[in-house]
Amino acid sequence: MNEERYIAFDNYINKELSGSELISFEEKLKSDSDFKQEFEIYKALETSLVSKFENEEQENALRKTLSDLGSKFIKSENSTKKKGKLISLINYKQLMVAASIALLIGFFLFNNGNPVYSDFSSHNTLELVVRSENNEALVKAQEAFNSRNYKEALEQLTTLTNSNTKDTEIELYKGICFLELNIYVEADVVFDKISGGNSVFVNTATWYKALSMLKQEQFEACKYVLQTIPESAEEYKQAKKLLRKL
Amino acid sequence: MAQKQHADHIYIEALLKNNSRVLSKIYEKYSYKIVSYVKKNNGNYDDAQDIIQETLVTIYHQAKDKNFVLTCPFDAYFYLLCKRRWLNELKKRGNNRVTILEDDTSITEEQEQQVEETEIFEQQSQLFESKFKELGEKCQELLKTAFKIKSMEKVAEILGVTYGYARKKKSQCMGKLTQLVRNSNEFHQLKAY
Repeated sequence: MNEERYIAFDNYINKELSGSELISFEEKLKSDSDFKQEFEIYKALETSLVSKFENEEQENALRKTLSDLGSKFIKSENSTKKKGKLISLINYKQLMVAASIALLIGFFLFNNGNPVYSDFSSHNTLELVVRSENNEALVKAQEAFNSRNYKEALEQLTTLTNSNTKDTEIELYKGICFLELNIYVEADVVFDKISGGNSVFVNTATWYKALSMLKQEQFEACKYVLQTIPESAEEYKQAKKLLRKL
Repeated sequence: MAQKQHADHIYIEALLKNNSRVLSKIYEKYSYKIVSYVKKNNGNYDDAQDIIQETLVTIYHQAKDKNFVLTCPFDAYFYLLCKRRWLNELKKRGNNRVTILEDDTSITEEQEQQVEETEIFEQQSQLFESKFKELGEKCQELLKTAFKIKSMEKVAEILGVTYGYARKKKSQCMGKLTQLVRNSNEFHQLKAY
């Protein structure tokens, strides 16, 4: 091992070289690629290790914050789902009594619960046929979608996208079908893609993303998505209405 | 380098400042997508939580060491990092039979580049850390003390040696470490230099 070399590295990093020593060191950095590579590694190691040891406590504090947030946002999602399944049959009768009382109270406090997807999910009808040549799949997709047969519509739209790849409107309606069929991951992927693009469907896709969150009962996420809909958007009024209820 | 900061850089700042109010937005806004991806691919809630946390800690270190500047939206950048981390984790667990559900979240070249930067940074840190552990116990202790305290005079005092000796030893240990890194296979795979 070339001990002198590493001592020089250390001195250089600490700015302890001067005069001819400094000049010859810097010359060597320029001319000797092997020397330079070793120096780069040495320096990167020093930066990385200094940061690691210096920030140990700060890192631990951050980890604590993150794991608290993680259990708040991720685990709680888990536990609420579990709670739903825990109602035993023995309590069923009591539950029915409670439910009817709740229903009664519900009439008086009509607006207090969380809003539901179906209140907001009136879709525009699909009207594709007029704008392109007659196509069997297109007609079928349109009929199926407009009569709320989303499974059939999805199949037809999928055949359409296979042949006619880049039609954003068809993609959007596919997303709506996914959402109606509760295939959330696929739906969200579609909405994310369109809302992140620059087509005329950006706001519509954002709105549907919010509806998807609503249907999945992720109210906080829903709120955030809604807040990204600009005032100029057609969906702004609906978004505001839903925001008020959340 | 004049990089244009994206508005979402607030999340990077929040990591540096351990600002839990802003950090909670990351969980509120983006975690559901990652959770559903992990769950669809042989994982559970705990896995998703780990993936998210480790990814954020990595970004924190990158920001700390390299003044990382986010120039693209956080959403796709973060999602892609988490996704790739989970795929690596599955590989590590030997789950080769698992079919991975590919989603075609479209990403820009810039996002891809930022993701790559973060990944290279992490690989480099991991390499450095693992090589550090290969050093002898005395070297590890000396370097750890030196980097924590910074003043080599104090380090010499603590270790009960002379200043000159402490300096010399530090260079030697660092030299050893440099060579361990340089001669490793992982180093040659890294494109960072």
